[in-house]
Amino acid sequence: MNRVQADSIAEQAAHWIVQLSADDEHTRASAHAGFAAWKAQDPLHARAAAGMESLLGQVHALRGPSAGDTRPARAALAAVAPKRRRHLAAGVAAAMLVLAVAGLAASDRPAYLLADLRSPTGQWRTHTLADGSQLTLSSGTAVNVRFSKGERHLQLVQGEILVEVAKDAHRPFFVDSRQAALRALGTRFTVRQQDDATILSMLESKVAVQLPQHAGTVVAAGQRTRITAAGAGPLEPFDAASLQDAWRAHQLVVDDRPLPEVLDELARHRPGQLRYDRAQLDHIRVAAVLPLDDTDQALQLLLDNFPQLRVRMLTRYLVMVDAPVRNPQKK
Amino acid sequence: MSAAQPTLQQQVHALYSEHHGWLYGWLRKKLSCPHSAADVAQDTFVRIIASRDALFGMREPRAYLSTTAKRLLVDRARRQLLERSYLAELALVMEAIEGAPSPDEILMAVQALEQIAGALAGISARAREAFLLHYLDEQPQAAVAQQLGVSTRMVQKYLVQALLACRQASLIIPA
Repeated sequence: MNRVQADSIAEQAAHWIVQLSADDEHTRASAHAGFAAWKAQDPLHARAAAGMESLLGQVHALRGPSAGDTRPARAALAAVAPKRRRHLAAGVAAAMLVLAVAGLAASDRPAYLLADLRSPTGQWRTHTLADGSQLTLSSGTAVNVRFSKGERHLQLVQGEILVEVAKDAHRPFFVDSRQAALRALGTRFTVRQQDDATILSMLESKVAVQLPQHAGTVVAAGQRTRITAAGAGPLEPFDAASLQDAWRAHQLVVDDRPLPEVLDELARHRPGQLRYDRAQLDHIRVAAVLPLDDTDQALQLLLDNFPQLRVRMLTRYLVMVDAPVRNPQKK
Repeated sequence: MSAAQPTLQQQVHALYSEHHGWLYGWLRKKLSCPHSAADVAQDTFVRIIASRDALFGMREPRAYLSTTAKRLLVDRARRQLLERSYLAELALVMEAIEGAPSPDEILMAVQALEQIAGALAGISARAREAFLLHYLDEQPQAAVAQQLGVSTRMVQKYLVQALLACRQASLIIPA
């Protein structure tokens, strides 16, 4: 069979299939009979039709997982649909797609990808900087290193770092967050960049917090502060030794915090999505030590301690946590 | 040139031993995950070996390897984007329905979506929309026609185009 014949058979098959789902009932009925006869005529006919029918079967099956709701399938197809006709730019588009996806995986901020030092989700990285300072990046963290003759600057793009500053009397050491410049007066501290705040926890010695148009604040070992655009918040005591242990062992130590906060933290250490309704879970308070390098186990521990929780793991990359209220005895 | 002509196996062996380490290193720099880099490197060789013609007279093996690997990276990125978009939306829908689809069901849906996306990539946006409105959303042909502002005959034309594209796509998929 040559190509022209094959194309013509395929076209006939497609025409029949379209008639099978015509709006008019008579058309449909006669298409059914006609199509069956046409397929019986020649095994090549049946074969041409089978490929298309099986794909349509797959389209129909897409309705299953979402109980007839086609939005998930639509969203997926829209995400990869070709954008207009730009054949020449296909290479560029492909490169951008890679960037976009890498960005999705690690962070929604392109700055993450461009940073000097990065740690992917779920991984810790420790670096010794040019001056001998030790820098540990927690999961999903990005830092730019800007050392000059006169000053040392780390720009915290996102995530959380543990810094152990090497002494250098002639070159002050700064961590620059979105909210403030933190000048190290001593050695060891952690800095966490949140969307609208920076959290500084002092493990050893002191740091001076400098904000534009605010008086400086000095934070000492064992103290923690939350810095927003409005300035440094009150200094709160915390357990420096256990925080240090937690960093070393990749653990999350929480003492009486709302569950959504804990889940936020787990989500930061977990590839894929962790979904939950903050309002529904906000009343659950957690005191726990959870492994951050095994978030599956962390979720299991939460589940063991809070039987009212339900964890649905659709895939490794999509986990939903909620506390169903209806039918408590029904599984 | 009869005696000097190396066998396919020797070619593959030479290509692999000379360039696998380099390709892996190249991919490591592009991907943060060492397992993914190893996977893609492996897939690249498999892809090249499958198209055996390419093996003979390969002038710039590294350029060829990296081009093939890049294509695989793009495929992979597209697949991830598709899967994530599907899961994100599914999670929203799930909040409204009882029970949960099994991982198998989800995997099958994602694979089906990949195939469908591949099939529909080559046709016009309108033909694609007609196909999805009719076969996915299960709207009557007349309703599709109304939404797209065309005649029902035109909708049928679009559907035929889409079905033919499905056939093309299934022919292109490598054995």
